[in-house]
Amino acid sequence: MVIRIRDKADLWTLLMPPTVWALHFLFCYLVAAVHCAKKGGINLAEPSSGASFAPLAEVRPLVAIGTAVALALIVVSAWQAWRHWGAGTEDPPHDAATPEDRQHFLGLATLLLSGLSFASVIFIALPAFLITDCR
Amino acid sequence: MSEQLREQQEERLNRVWASPPGWRYWSAVNNTEVGRWYTLTAFGFFLFAGALALLVRAQLAVPDNTLIPAPLYNQLFTLHGTAMMFLFAVPIFEAVAILLLPTMLAARDLPFPRLSAFGYWCFLIGGVFVCGSIFFNAAPDGGWFMYPPLTTDPKLSGIGADIWLLGLSFIEVASIAAAVELIVGVLKCRPPGMRINTIPLYCWYVLIVGGMILFAFPPLIAGDILFELERMADWPFFDPARGGDPLLWQHLFWIFGHPEVYIIFLPSIALMAMLVPTFARRKIIGYSWIVLAAVGTGFLSFGLWVHHMFTTGLPAISLGFFSAASEAVAIPTGVQIFVFIATMLAGRVVFTVPMLFAAGSLAIFVIGGLTGVMVAIAPFDWQAHDSYFVVAHLHYVLIGGMLLPLLAGAYYYVPLVTGRKLSDRLGKWVFWLMFAGFNIGFMPMHFTGLRGMPRRVFTYPTGIGWDWLNLVSTLGAFIFAAGVLLFAWDLLWGFRRREQAPRNLWNAGTLEWLNALPGPTYGVRSVPEVASRYPLWDQPDLPREVDEGRWYLPDAEEGQRETMVTSVLDSHPIQCLRVPGNSFMPMICAILIGGSFIATTYHLYWTALGFGIAGMFGIMTWLWRGTAMIPEKEEKMVGRGLTLSLYVSGTQSVGWWAMFITMFGDMTAFASLVFSYFYYWTIHEVFPPLAPDGAPMGPGLLWPAVAFGLLALAWGAMLWARARNTAGSATGLRLGLGIGVLAALGSAAAMLWAPWQAGLAPTTHVYPAAVWVLLIWAALHLALGVVMQGYCMARSFAGKLTTRWDIDIHNVVLYWHFAAITGAVTLAVTALFPLLA
Amino acid sequence: MHREFCRRGAWLLPLALAACDGPQSALDPAGHEAEAVSQLFWWMAGASLVLWVLVVGLSFYASRRREQPWPARRAARLILVCGALLPTLLLAALLVFGLRLMPVLRAPGDGLRVEVEGQQFWWRVRYVLPDGRRFETANEVRLPVGSRTEFLLTAQDVIHSFWIPSLGGKMDMIPGTTNRLVLEPTQTGRFRGACAEFCGASHALMAMSVEVMEPEAFTAWVEREAGAAAASTDEGAALFLARGCGACHTVRGTAAAGRVGPDLTHLGARPTIAAGILPNSPENIDRFIRETQAIKPAARMPSFGMLPPAESAAIATWLGSLR
Repeated sequence: MVIRIRDKADLWTLLMPPTVWALHFLFCYLVAAVHCAKKGGINLAEPSSGASFAPLAEVRPLVAIGTAVALALIVVSAWQAWRHWGAGTEDPPHDAATPEDRQHFLGLATLLLSGLSFASVIFIALPAFLITDCR
Repeated sequence: MSEQLREQQEERLNRVWASPPGWRYWSAVNNTEVGRWYTLTAFGFFLFAGALALLVRAQLAVPDNTLIPAPLYNQLFTLHGTAMMFLFAVPIFEAVAILLLPTMLAARDLPFPRLSAFGYWCFLIGGVFVCGSIFFNAAPDGGWFMYPPLTTDPKLSGIGADIWLLGLSFIEVASIAAAVELIVGVLKCRPPGMRINTIPLYCWYVLIVGGMILFAFPPLIAGDILFELERMADWPFFDPARGGDPLLWQHLFWIFGHPEVYIIFLPSIALMAMLVPTFARRKIIGYSWIVLAAVGTGFLSFGLWVHHMFTTGLPAISLGFFSAASEAVAIPTGVQIFVFIATMLAGRVVFTVPMLFAAGSLAIFVIGGLTGVMVAIAPFDWQAHDSYFVVAHLHYVLIGGMLLPLLAGAYYYVPLVTGRKLSDRLGKWVFWLMFAGFNIGFMPMHFTGLRGMPRRVFTYPTGIGWDWLNLVSTLGAFIFAAGVLLFAWDLLWGFRRREQAPRNLWNAGTLEWLNALPGPTYGVRSVPEVASRYPLWDQPDLPREVDEGRWYLPDAEEGQRETMVTSVLDSHPIQCLRVPGNSFMPMICAILIGGSFIATTYHLYWTALGFGIAGMFGIMTWLWRGTAMIPEKEEKMVGRGLTLSLYVSGTQSVGWWAMFITMFGDMTAFASLVFSYFYYWTIHEVFPPLAPDGAPMGPGLLWPAVAFGLLALAWGAMLWARARNTAGSATGLRLGLGIGVLAALGSAAAMLWAPWQAGLAPTTHVYPAAVWVLLIWAALHLALGVVMQGYCMARSFAGKLTTRWDIDIHNVVLYWHFAAITGAVTLAVTALFPLLA
Repeated sequence: MHREFCRRGAWLLPLALAACDGPQSALDPAGHEAEAVSQLFWWMAGASLVLWVLVVGLSFYASRRREQPWPARRAARLILVCGALLPTLLLAALLVFGLRLMPVLRAPGDGLRVEVEGQQFWWRVRYVLPDGRRFETANEVRLPVGSRTEFLLTAQDVIHSFWIPSLGGKMDMIPGTTNRLVLEPTQTGRFRGACAEFCGASHALMAMSVEVMEPEAFTAWVEREAGAAAASTDEGAALFLARGCGACHTVRGTAAAGRVGPDLTHLGARPTIAAGILPNSPENIDRFIRETQAIKPAARMPSFGMLPPAESAAIATWLGSLR
């Protein structure tokens, strides 16, 4: 479902960009959460809070690669959607009961979803670059 | 077509679709009847839960109040939240969708009417059971999200927690059933020509919300299973002393709980998407944007759950991801609002009572949305969380985003159901009482919360600065309630005095307004071909042609209930589907299964088992007599020269789709259990823990390997059986099924034997408990698969399953694909993962 | 300054008039985190108000009949710009601000550590001084102004949440887990904290008194608090032991060393009793001994109404004298 290159748009091509978002989100969360759960912690025998803030330096490149892959996939999906849409030769609403308008509609909706997914993937990647340790 | 023929056709349709008279009326399964019961029952629970809230507000009116003692107060707010969420907000979506969807799709009914009826009876029984508990002072009292250990420790929480868990699990199953029904309805039961780019926006939302239910409810069901195992059998899933973790429940609950908010919100916005174009007198601007918003919200809403857990001490980086997703989800929500504004700007708005409610809901919802953006910023949430600020926020979202749009929809759609409009004059009163009362009641709570008042307190001291804020809130709540009561009066009694509404009274463009009002029980007179998003505006002859029976399925010659099935993307006609008629079976099955859940609540395990087995037989009987019926002929002329098959199987049949979708939900529940297992791995330094002899605990390799081999054999036998059946060999089919039964039973036994012979005791530590729960889950799936194999065998011997009539074997093989995945993953996790870890 | 900001901001929202101050108000901040968050709130509230007026105003305008409806293209552009692009940019800016704030608020402390354990329905408080000395108290937190104190939070029975709104946000106390919270008071004064996670019948009655002191005064308090209670031949002290109170309560310097209930060593010096719900006076202590379950339903301590009134009064007087 993640990579689906087709001449004809369908419901699965529509779901491709948000699915990429979901997988990217899950990836970032799991990588960071497992890292912090295994490396961080509080030791009551130590002075002050005894908290050790494991740095996120190992996680950051992983998130960066994951984000690059996710953005690339979304761009692929957007490029395909752009073609399905007819490269903007026709304005919406694409509401005629014809195969062309169905194709154009699915293309446009997928293109918009690609935009949302692109922005959301960037949103999700931000914490990994603004927060440096597991505090 | 002669006048006489038309009358005969109409009479036949009426007879076939009529609900029986007298007490047999309750056997009705038609969507018009079930939808009405469903809506009124959900509305009844809404009034009940609202009354509880008024008691809560009365207690908080003044400081140090002694009106309501703490134990009762805790039951009141728990039941208020529980009933509003599980017994009103989600069911009302299902109710309205069951009522409206067929009319929008010009379908005579949804594909599985008995499933809708079953869902309704489950909902009624479960709802009365949960709500009734408060009259025996036995209601749940741990808050509607039931955090353990408060709710798992039998010393701290009584039978109320069991009532909550089992009563609601029962209703959740019904919700999933409704989701399956609605998804298949939107995908497969559209009128010919209604391509994916012309379906009404409401249907897009229903499709998305149905999908969300499939991914959101199962984690809660998985959580309920762990929870109930801890309460009843002392398996330590949430007990830190034995390796468990109370936070796991919070994860599972909110993986359900946050999408739930959007499951509630989207269907109400969907109603706005229908009525705004009607009153703007133009087609929607930004149809694709709405699809973007609905799909985008559906996905993003699954990345928000931890924002309910910002104060649980998770690392800042984890909070950051969820904070980011919580901000991102505001984007599609903003898009939806601007689609409505843009449509109004490009149209000529007629300002009616539904529009008044729509405008009011916008004003309130935007506040809720903006405070939502605020609490998504973790540092602000650290102050606002679990305070009255959050109470204010969530009510602004739910009242503005769900209740008021629903009322807008009610003023818009009540004529469709009853044939009479609600009062415009009273409607304005209702609106202003509710709007003013709501803001007076809930706006001050933002400040009560930031001045430090935690939620769920039954009293508060004077002098902290909460006194007059609370008094004003209570005053507002009662004004709001007056508006609700006025609406209830108008909905239940007042409308009877009004005159009959004319056909398409709002001059709308979508198909639900096709009929004269109120519509006949059979829905449309004939199923038209649709060529536009707003067929009533673009195809002016359509109502006349439909009335004259010039389109498809204008008759019920064989005395059977029929509706059309079309293809997913382009709505090409595929099949004339015979849908089952009135029956008491759904009600009886709901009573039996409900009895099983209720008996379990009171620890009457043998009674529960008896009810459960009886319920199983009930369902078998229902399936045997009502599904995969062999028609008296292969094909049927449905009108206009179109001939459609009466029996299709495999991916073309609606039953296959229902199985596929149901199993998707089932896999989500399974994935939640697997997630729980790995969650324990992350919080433990050594997992699996070491046994006293120093070796890691585990079920060993031998018996899991045996189980895996037999599982593969069972699955292969099913594939072989299907292939033999297609090739025309009944013996091959039966042989394959027989091998499958033996192999599946052997595999299930090996799965359970493995931890038993390894001496894994589930009450000692969370690891054996997690292994057991996964293996039992897989073994139960195999056992259910065996029941299905037996069912196919019996159908084969009864001549109901043959090479030509082969729906059952296709659907059962589909089930077995999922069962095989479940078994294989379970064995890999329990037997192989310890080797890696 | 923030208090002033609050007052100045308040007139914007009619209901907010004078709705800011109080001993438990996040909008009347006396700590570093609370100040940052209160300021953030007023900025967000102001921006929200502007956005709300714009959106609702636009929809009001849209709902009026006008001579010339907008062309579809222009309306579609409105969705793109106002519905999608502008919100994305605004939200991104807010998100970046919020993300950058988090590590700052969770920065390490200056050495003082306070371990608090939530129980139904009170707080066990243990001070761990930078020099390693420890002492225990209950239902009262005192902090030196101007330095960052780390709290290590856990719970014994069910989930609680530790919240002093005047100083900063809350942190849950979860059985089996130790959570960390750092607070940096910026003003001296008396405040009130409360349990913010529903924890059972008397959740509403689980509060604590908080006092932020000048560093010298704090040091003096620590020295006194770390010591034992003054030896006493008081009748109340004898009754306290004779009636078995010591099975649950500790009074350091006496034979009472129970670990079930709150430490009462310096009870008389605390501003409140019963976890922040009653002013500290011998009369109230006496009442609490006799009517525990009426004052605090489902508390683990039974009511001792069967004691002769003279005895409970003597115990209360003695406890009140422990400073």
